[in-house]
Amino acid sequence: MQINRRKLFSASAVIAAVALAASVMPAQAANEVGVTATSIKFGMTSPKTGAAAPGYEKIPGAIKAYFDYVNANGGINGRKLTLVSRDDQYVPATAVQNAIKLIGTDKVFALLGTLGTASTKAITGPAGPATVYKVPTLFVNTGFSGFADKKKYPNSFALLPSYVMEAKIMAKYIKDKYAGKKIGIVYQDDDFGKDALAGFKTAGLTFDTYVPYASLSQGVATVPPTWIQKLKTAGAEVVVMFGVSSATTALLGNAYAGSYKPQWILGSVGGDATTIASSKKIPIALLGGAKGLSFAPSPIDSKDEYIAKFMEINTKYNPGVAFDNNIVAGMTTAFITAQAVKAAGVNITRKGLVAAIEKSGASFATPTLAPLAYSATSHVGATGYWIGTYDATGGLNPDGGKYTVYTTDSGTGAVVESTWKRPAMPENGLPK
Amino acid sequence: MHKFKLNPVNSFFAFIALGLILVFVSGKFDDLVVYQGATVMMFVIAISSITLLTGYSGQVSLGHGAFLGVGGYAAAVTRNNYNLPIIVCIVIGVLAAAIAGALIGLSAARLSGPYLAGSTLALAVGLPSIVNRFDSLGGEQGLFFDVGAPPAFLGEGFSPYRWFFYAATLAMLVSLWGLRNVLNSRYGRTWRAVRGNDVAAQLSGVNIARSKILAFTLSAGLAGLAGVILAMTLGTVSPGVYPLALSFSLATGAVLSGINTLGGVMIGAVTLVAIPEIADSISHRLGGSEVLTTNLPGILVSALLILTVLFVPNGPVEQMRNTRNKKRVHAQR
Repeated sequence: MQINRRKLFSASAVIAAVALAASVMPAQAANEVGVTATSIKFGMTSPKTGAAAPGYEKIPGAIKAYFDYVNANGGINGRKLTLVSRDDQYVPATAVQNAIKLIGTDKVFALLGTLGTASTKAITGPAGPATVYKVPTLFVNTGFSGFADKKKYPNSFALLPSYVMEAKIMAKYIKDKYAGKKIGIVYQDDDFGKDALAGFKTAGLTFDTYVPYASLSQGVATVPPTWIQKLKTAGAEVVVMFGVSSATTALLGNAYAGSYKPQWILGSVGGDATTIASSKKIPIALLGGAKGLSFAPSPIDSKDEYIAKFMEINTKYNPGVAFDNNIVAGMTTAFITAQAVKAAGVNITRKGLVAAIEKSGASFATPTLAPLAYSATSHVGATGYWIGTYDATGGLNPDGGKYTVYTTDSGTGAVVESTWKRPAMPENGLPK
Repeated sequence: MHKFKLNPVNSFFAFIALGLILVFVSGKFDDLVVYQGATVMMFVIAISSITLLTGYSGQVSLGHGAFLGVGGYAAAVTRNNYNLPIIVCIVIGVLAAAIAGALIGLSAARLSGPYLAGSTLALAVGLPSIVNRFDSLGGEQGLFFDVGAPPAFLGEGFSPYRWFFYAATLAMLVSLWGLRNVLNSRYGRTWRAVRGNDVAAQLSGVNIARSKILAFTLSAGLAGLAGVILAMTLGTVSPGVYPLALSFSLATGAVLSGINTLGGVMIGAVTLVAIPEIADSISHRLGGSEVLTTNLPGILVSALLILTVLFVPNGPVEQMRNTRNKKRVHAQR
């Protein structure tokens, strides 16, 4: 058979067109729930109403805003990312029902950013819907170190550094900066606070005064004025607050009323300035001078390339919602999720998504200032914090004008100053 | 014509028939509905425990969620530490709650009205602090309660939520059948006598204190069973699983059901599960504003409570029964 030039040209053109179409169009995902040729659906359950909602209720909107931005720029591998968000009011029974709805009725591909230790444990435990239906639970919003345990929670990935890590880093800072001073601690009298006490103990820090307060599980945390008296009587010059924002608000308000002015050191959960401000119970200026910890850049640091991009996205796709730590947390979750989807490839599956995070997660671009520790044997997320000082508007500024980041683990590992170089923001804030 | 009456024997067969119908009907629905069905069964048991305590023996408990917690935690601790068969864990959960109920009943026998209500409320409020005192109870994160995979005879890949529904339905039927017989026995009559007039009951030879303690013990045991069922469906126990709001929900469900009769417990239980769904649906249709979403379930429950108290104070089932009896008397005249 003779092939003339015209036929050869036609055949080449057809082959090229087919190849081009194949490279641009997403392949049909083979029987994977929540994935179509044009979209991937994620699900989230978190408190949007109720006592624990203030602040956290902004996270689903932030995730959706970043997804909208990605979708407006062509999606990931040709697919748009969508989010179905449900309110669990911080109640585990409702969170489980929501997860069953998301998986069974809404047919989501994976769960995202579940919030609260008890709820996440119920969803991802042995009888939880994520385990029953083998659905990945990405980047859970809790500092409980257990969710990073791959053996117990094979499909779950942590994002926040653990409370133990935070306490160890705080302990090193206190020992370095406030040696010889009397130290007190106010902490939530449950596993949240106990995780912190374990971290302080591991780091060799003991306190002169311990003030526990009742857990949030039965309502809004309160700190009676008598405990301020206890701290004052003990002569505590430096006071660590390891609790939730409502307790921090009560603590600062009662201290002000009692003319008590120690050096406050606020944990990342209780030092959420937006939540404290939105309670309207104390002037936000009372935060001024307190020390705080964060694993992501300060939300007021518009010079940081990640924060600047997130601010831009928030303004356009989440209009009218104030930019703060919760928006940064939500967009960080969405940003890392988008990279995981990209890494899982065109023929994405639930198993493939988990494998992709294990294989490439540690090298994902991330706004976090400490490295991510995902690997085949670890589902640990960010591994450190920086410490700064609050100004009178509630903004957290790094001491000395630059982020000094400390990293550690949830075990007995040392706290060290990080030399890790954060990957640059990909062009236009989209996964490469 | 001979009138059909539910005696212990034919009521037993009636309960079996009801169970078979429920199991058959459940096969038509997806996992979500079946999960909600298991929650309804849990509420039926829990509300019936309130009916026994308040409706029959005249004692008020505003903190019954704590007994659900005791049952759930006891079963979980037993399962996790000793790996005993699930049926043994359930029995231990029920016994632990019953013992807690007996202890509370000892003080309840000396209290009444708001004092008793306040004491039981304090129990529910204090539960998280008690749990946090003991590391073995898992603190705020709680403990797993893994009942394992569904039995092999149900087939591979059988939904665990369907299996939970079967177990919850069986527990509901057994407990309701047993409770019905107890309430129709000498004990039930004694409780009603104490509730009606304790002085008259005492003059008739009833030991008031013993009667009250027995009612509290049995009621707490039933609540403990509901707590184990709740723990089973969630696979975990934690203070958040048994919040103060659960106690209030049970009291609400009991009022909606009709506090003096077991006949309406299903109404209260279904209402408690359905209200959030209805509210969610309405608020989404109306634009899903946060204010509406937050407040609508409470508004609906409050409206139902007011309507119930105004128009059917003894519950819809008791009201229907009274209306039917009046008609019958009227017809006989």
